[in-house]
Amino acid sequence: MSASYDVIVIGGGHNGLVNAAYLARAGKKVLVLERRHVLGGAAVTEEIFPGFKFSVCSYVVSLLRPEIIRELDLPRHGLEILPLDGTFTPMPNGDYLWRMNDHAKSQREIRRHSRLDAEAYDEFGKSMLEMCKFVKPILAMTPPDPTTLNPKDLMKLLFVGKRFQALPYQDKYNQVQLMTMSAADFLDGWFETDVLKATMSASGIIGTFLGVRSPGTAYVLLHHYMGEIDGAFRAWGLCRGGTGALSNAIGDAAREAGVEIRMEAPVAQIKVKRGKACGVILTNGDEISADVVSSSVDPNLTFLKFIEPGHLDDEFIEEVKRYKFRGSSGKVNLALDALPDLKCMPGPGPHLRGAISISPSVDYMERAYDDAKYGHHSRRPYIDIVIPSLTDPSVAPPGKHVMSCFVQYAPYKLAEGTWDDQRESFGDTVIDTISEYVPNLKNIILHRQVVTPLDLEREFGLTEGNIFQGELSLEQLFFLRPVPGWARYSTPIKNLYMCGSATHPGGGIMGAPGRLAALKILEENKKGGN
Amino acid sequence: MAATRDVLILGGGHNGLVAAFYLAKAGHKPLVLERRALPGGCAVTEEFFPGFRSSTLAHGGTIRLEIAHDMKLAKHGLHMLEPEPRLFAPALDGRALQLYGDPTTSAANILQFSKKDAGKYPHLQKTLARIAALLDRLLTMTPPDIDNPTAGELMHLLMAGREFRSLGRDDMFRVLRWGPMAIADFVAEWFETDLLRAVIAARGIFGTAMGPWSAGSTAAMLLRAPADGNPIGGAAFPRGGMGALTQAMFAAATSAGAEIRTEAEVAQVLVKDGQVTGVALASGEEISAKIVVSNADPRRTFLKLVDPVHLGPDFVVKMQNYRCNGNLAKINLALDSVPPFTALDGDNGNAAALAGRIHIGPEIDYLERAFDACKYGKFSEHPHLEISIPSLSDPSLAPAGKHVMSIYVQFAPYKLRDTWANQRNALGDAVVKTLAAYAPKLPEMILHRQVITPADLEEHYGLTGGHIFHGELALDQLFTMRPLLGWARYRTPIDGLYLCGNGVHPGTGLTGQSGANAAREIIKSIKR
Repeated sequence: MSASYDVIVIGGGHNGLVNAAYLARAGKKVLVLERRHVLGGAAVTEEIFPGFKFSVCSYVVSLLRPEIIRELDLPRHGLEILPLDGTFTPMPNGDYLWRMNDHAKSQREIRRHSRLDAEAYDEFGKSMLEMCKFVKPILAMTPPDPTTLNPKDLMKLLFVGKRFQALPYQDKYNQVQLMTMSAADFLDGWFETDVLKATMSASGIIGTFLGVRSPGTAYVLLHHYMGEIDGAFRAWGLCRGGTGALSNAIGDAAREAGVEIRMEAPVAQIKVKRGKACGVILTNGDEISADVVSSSVDPNLTFLKFIEPGHLDDEFIEEVKRYKFRGSSGKVNLALDALPDLKCMPGPGPHLRGAISISPSVDYMERAYDDAKYGHHSRRPYIDIVIPSLTDPSVAPPGKHVMSCFVQYAPYKLAEGTWDDQRESFGDTVIDTISEYVPNLKNIILHRQVVTPLDLEREFGLTEGNIFQGELSLEQLFFLRPVPGWARYSTPIKNLYMCGSATHPGGGIMGAPGRLAALKILEENKKGGN
Repeated sequence: MAATRDVLILGGGHNGLVAAFYLAKAGHKPLVLERRALPGGCAVTEEFFPGFRSSTLAHGGTIRLEIAHDMKLAKHGLHMLEPEPRLFAPALDGRALQLYGDPTTSAANILQFSKKDAGKYPHLQKTLARIAALLDRLLTMTPPDIDNPTAGELMHLLMAGREFRSLGRDDMFRVLRWGPMAIADFVAEWFETDLLRAVIAARGIFGTAMGPWSAGSTAAMLLRAPADGNPIGGAAFPRGGMGALTQAMFAAATSAGAEIRTEAEVAQVLVKDGQVTGVALASGEEISAKIVVSNADPRRTFLKLVDPVHLGPDFVVKMQNYRCNGNLAKINLALDSVPPFTALDGDNGNAAALAGRIHIGPEIDYLERAFDACKYGKFSEHPHLEISIPSLSDPSLAPAGKHVMSIYVQFAPYKLRDTWANQRNALGDAVVKTLAAYAPKLPEMILHRQVITPADLEEHYGLTGGHIFHGELALDQLFTMRPLLGWARYRTPIDGLYLCGNGVHPGTGLTGQSGANAAREIIKSIKR
């Protein structure tokens, strides 16, 4: 046995670090245990090819809660977010749709496709803003338990109900549609241009095993839209130095608050004595004791791998097993010798500085999903491309570039073969797909890194490769996330908490679960409940 | 103006007749205006080939018990046949599943596929029955006002809340979690046998634009649970076909004092200063009334029968976005004899097994692929079928020794890339070919084939978009949101105009609940 801590945080991803920082700032003695040699979990920057720094997994920053940036003073710790300007969607017919941060410009561009849609776009933006305002406080609250008669929980439900009731009719209507509809159906109500609907619906499926026509995807659309509200339309951005810089900034803030961070320290087991968590055992056999264990890894690892059988009842284990991961996305990172040249808009230009979205039609998106439903990676996938080296030259040698391609769908469970056999064919499919729009691509690739859902599981500890630590489907949100009855960061084991994306409000580089879990831990410890 | 009436009901479908009955019973004098020569809407029996009668559209379903009781339908000639097994589902490997009303008998049959599933099946049936009791309260209530719920409504909700709590924590969370789930996930949590999964999943996708992997399809299944807590639903057919049901309703409504006029097509709902004043018939005749109740679907009511100036652009746009494109086609076959299924032994020993519903769709993936087709404007070449051979338990429907086969076909989208006039026969062929894989001799037994496409449903039966439920049964169009948020209480933006069809809560097919709920609200508002 080595030193004893107040809290051990398992996992040095962004949520684990946020959790640790808040706990340490409240005076707790905190230890963070990270399995890998780099900090950040899925928010890391790694030099995979000499001179090229890849944001291997997560590549854009948008959802990080402003209160966390403020309270942890992240800019002082080196966080700098560079705006990412707009989304450029090339079309197979040689045309394109270019939505920019400049609203008036976007409207002009959309008018080129449809006059009606240009008008609707304006109103759509305003409505989404209202919806975001409605949802924001819910994201910042610990979900109530709808089955108890505890006045505090009832008040919270009432709060949500009353807020809903106070909404103007139009907003109520939008809100229920957002909570229940498919992204494609929802957008059908607003727009007529297919490519506009397709490219907008893409944010409804990111990280989920759902198609743009699957009910429930409208909510994910909103989840991603949230990024555009704080600080107006600037919040979608890239981290200077890659996404890992964000983790380093949070890590720095945590260390300054007194957190101890141990790298390459994989946890093997959470120690439980008489129904209480009391520390961890590392894979090297070291035992570290603590009053509280806070796990930022997903429920599968936390409960099925780290807890010895016998400490949890069968029903709870069943519920955890039922929790759906179903990773559906992969990543292809490219080191490029020169800038890619788009067929529909050749040469360099500001259109390369935003996201380039391969989402030419709603049917294209849906067909990509159909492939995945039956266990194949999409023959023609949806791809979200970013060239961070244009905005942040520090990530590539002069004149060279880094291209990050987020790809969907890549289902974790394949009908035939394994991801190890299919990695290269998946990579080829992605390159072939992009090449249809970027003819020079194949000639400028210096290095290609293909990240499959299996790699996400093996390398980054994301079960089944789900980037959100579990699907953002309605039955796994709010008071049902991750498991009904255990949505409030605590677990059936006393002093064991969850603080990762598998808890409310879910995934993305938001940091909210880490912060809310910290507040919960502090509240329960103040009560002297231990 | 020729005449003045107390209450006009547009459409003599089952919900219109139920509403007419309750209104008449409360002392009003409703006049039902039916467009066709035969009342009954989608619940009719027609001779489609000399000597062969079939339930042209809907072929099975259970009216809510209380409603049947109130209307004394048995006295008015309704006799329900409930054959066993309720469901026969052949697999491609030659085996077949047979499920019954009694869970233990069902479990005994499931045993051939999986011991684990056989053990769990009765448990699911019990759980569903428990939850159905709660859902039943929701189905029979008028959805609460979203802005100013009245004390009575709050009481009702509170009662539902209390019932909800009495379910216990586990069931409570089940209800909350199951609602938005894809039914494929739901059945996978319970069972390992793919055929059993598919059979139960079929109940969540029936008549909708959802495949088993669509989120919310579990809610559609739960919505049907109060009608029958059996995981696969009921198998109840009126003697004489579905027309016998609406004939009995017709008799009940008229003997309570309602009047019904057939071949009276309404062309327009007349409105003055935001108040309904009557209707104009296609013949030019006008009938005035203070109250008009539409059994037509919401889109037809608001976008065809009412002048949009009375509704305001906002409402009209929302109604245009109300999703109402059907995916179901219907095929009626006149057969020379009972088709032998390879999954059943012998040529004639199989009749008893086929008397309930026959499910074709051996796997979840099969159902999902059938659904995929309709997303791209094609009908499925390997459709999911739900079949009944009503003449097995009711020989009056066909000449001696011959039979009638009634087939629901999914998925056949209203919005087809080609026209339905071109594709009608291709659809019929695809269905017969699909069936031949299980009953190879069937094609040579067909004496006549009637194919009813979604376009026919719209044209001949007045179902906008050919949608049999008057609008998608998706989460965003249920309860307080059916048909539109804020207009789920049977009232409409026009004073005196009400809705009573499946396009308002609960919209559960043939139960008659929408009509009964609407009548209750109308009677209340007349009293005020």
